[in-house]
Amino acid sequence: MEPNGPPRLIPYRVKGFETELGFWVLNTGRFPQHDELQVTANAARRRELVQVLLLTAGFLVLVAISAASILFVDRARDDSSLVVHTVEVENQIAAVLLELRRAESAGRGYLLTSEPRFLTQHDTALANILGNVRHLRELTLDNPVQTRNSDALQAAVETRLNEFRETIAFAERKDQQGGIAQLRAASAEDTVHRITEISNAMRREEDRLFAARTISADRSQQWASTVTIAGSGLVVALAALSIFLVRRSSRARDDAEAQLRDSNINLEETVATRTTDLREANEEIQRFAYIVSHDLRSPLVNIMGFTSELEELRGDIFKRIASLSHPGTPTALSGDDASVPVLAEQDAKLSEDFNEALGFIKSSIGKMDRLISAILHLTREGRREFQPVPVDLRELIDGIAATVAHQAAEADAQIRVQPLPTIVSDRLALEQIFSNLIDNALKYLRTDVAGDIAVSGRTKLGFAIIEVTDNGRGIDARDHQRIFELFRRAGPQDRPGQGIGLAHVRALVRRLGGTLSVSSELDAGSTFTVTLPVKWALGRQGQTP
Amino acid sequence: MSKPVTIIMIEDDEGHARLIERNIRRSGVNNDIKPFTNGTDAIRYLFGADGSGSVHKDEALLVLLDLNLPDMSGIDILRRVKENAHLKCAPVVVLTTTDDAQEIKRCYDLGCNVYITKPVNYESFANAIRQLGLFFSVIQVPQAET
Repeated sequence: MEPNGPPRLIPYRVKGFETELGFWVLNTGRFPQHDELQVTANAARRRELVQVLLLTAGFLVLVAISAASILFVDRARDDSSLVVHTVEVENQIAAVLLELRRAESAGRGYLLTSEPRFLTQHDTALANILGNVRHLRELTLDNPVQTRNSDALQAAVETRLNEFRETIAFAERKDQQGGIAQLRAASAEDTVHRITEISNAMRREEDRLFAARTISADRSQQWASTVTIAGSGLVVALAALSIFLVRRSSRARDDAEAQLRDSNINLEETVATRTTDLREANEEIQRFAYIVSHDLRSPLVNIMGFTSELEELRGDIFKRIASLSHPGTPTALSGDDASVPVLAEQDAKLSEDFNEALGFIKSSIGKMDRLISAILHLTREGRREFQPVPVDLRELIDGIAATVAHQAAEADAQIRVQPLPTIVSDRLALEQIFSNLIDNALKYLRTDVAGDIAVSGRTKLGFAIIEVTDNGRGIDARDHQRIFELFRRAGPQDRPGQGIGLAHVRALVRRLGGTLSVSSELDAGSTFTVTLPVKWALGRQGQTP
Repeated sequence: MSKPVTIIMIEDDEGHARLIERNIRRSGVNNDIKPFTNGTDAIRYLFGADGSGSVHKDEALLVLLDLNLPDMSGIDILRRVKENAHLKCAPVVVLTTTDDAQEIKRCYDLGCNVYITKPVNYESFANAIRQLGLFFSVIQVPQAET
């Protein structure tokens, strides 16, 4: 049994697992960051919790192993020292017995030869014996049985020493015969026997203790190694579980990444398909609007035509009625309007009703025709291909201002054009957008103040922001969305118009990849803000052939 | 000029046909007007049973053509008339509701002589037809080539 074996072995093993755990901690710390990116937050949180629990469990097991190891190592050390102690006691007993033999034989040698060499040996042995016996007694102080035994041994040894002294005394008197007789007489049989018995008893006791202590030391060692092996196994299991979890979540992350990549690719395809679908749907609507409005026109021509024919007929009919009711006045049915026939009061009323009915029919047809024309115009605009070219907005709007200069002068209004950016876009569409906005501004000015229309612009993040501001009658906040709808108008309806301009402008701005918005208050003027990409390219959104 | 000009009116809308005829008459044109309400009948008349158009040799024809027909596009009739050896000299007046610039250009490319958009406003419509009638009364129409 090596007393120093276990204390070295256990900390070394524990340290080994600390390294294992260190690796594990590193992974645990890194993994939730990836996890949070890919997996749902709940799953990530749960997994993180599991990781923390595993980590804590691992630490607890390690602490337990360390504590148990220290405990068992201490116990093993105690056991070992007790074993050593037993061996020491046995050694001491042997030493006492050996010195006794040496003293005895040296004494006998001196008696026989009277050589002082033997006397010196005898004296040295005697001096050692007492020291040894005392030491033995000190060693056995912890055990009352052995203390009693060593006391008895001491007594026996002292008796024996007295016998030695007597023998030496005979030798010094040169009474060799007396000495031998004394040796024979006393023969020290009793004392020697006693010493042997006592030392044997002590040896037996120490043997018993040795066996018991060895078993105890073995048990401590066994416990220590069992605890270490079990704890190590547990740590290994936790580490394996942790590695498994890390592997699993990294696999989940890889899967999610692959899925993300796939869905990115799919997304582009989906967007392309949807765009095509939308474009087709838009074309379908355009065609539909065109055909419908076109075909509506045909019957309208008939309605209008025959209404006009009826109007012609009306003249003839009432002339005829007049001639019938006044047979005296000859009236030719030539349709000559110069000679208006004089009608009876009742007939005049009939004629008025007739005119009124015809008037409503004709004005309604006129309105319907204008609406249909507007739709046709819009669909035709919608079908026009846009051509992106560089356009100096300042120059373009100056041109528009010049064409409406006459109207502006009539309305007592000024148009101020501030520096504007140059953008790449469709020139005709831009002209329509800004001439509509400026026309509107001129159309809905207030009559009590001089009109002031300002066009200003700036660029921001690849977009040109152009504002058309007026000090006109303004638009109620309720109508801010309505004004952009087709055939919808806001405010007093005292100006001609179909409610098409802004709908058209918004459609154009959208096709050019921009936005149109209004901010306005009643009686406080309006600001229309057009946001257009500085560099519009064909094939982006809004390309509706 | 042995025979007077015959006006072939291909117009699916009978109301329109009536209004056109009335206004042509009002302008003082008294030529025969042969109305057709669909493309098939008109083609059969124009090109005859053998499809060669030779039935109309020695005749002077003027075609009034609507583009929106129920059974075919007026443009097809225009193309066939202008490709036919006997009929290609006959003046073709396209009279339709379409005022699409591309459509107009296409008709002239195919050899149409006059293109008139039917205005919904009846005064304009009547005016246009009467002026067309005046135009008919002054133009020289060649006989179909033999």
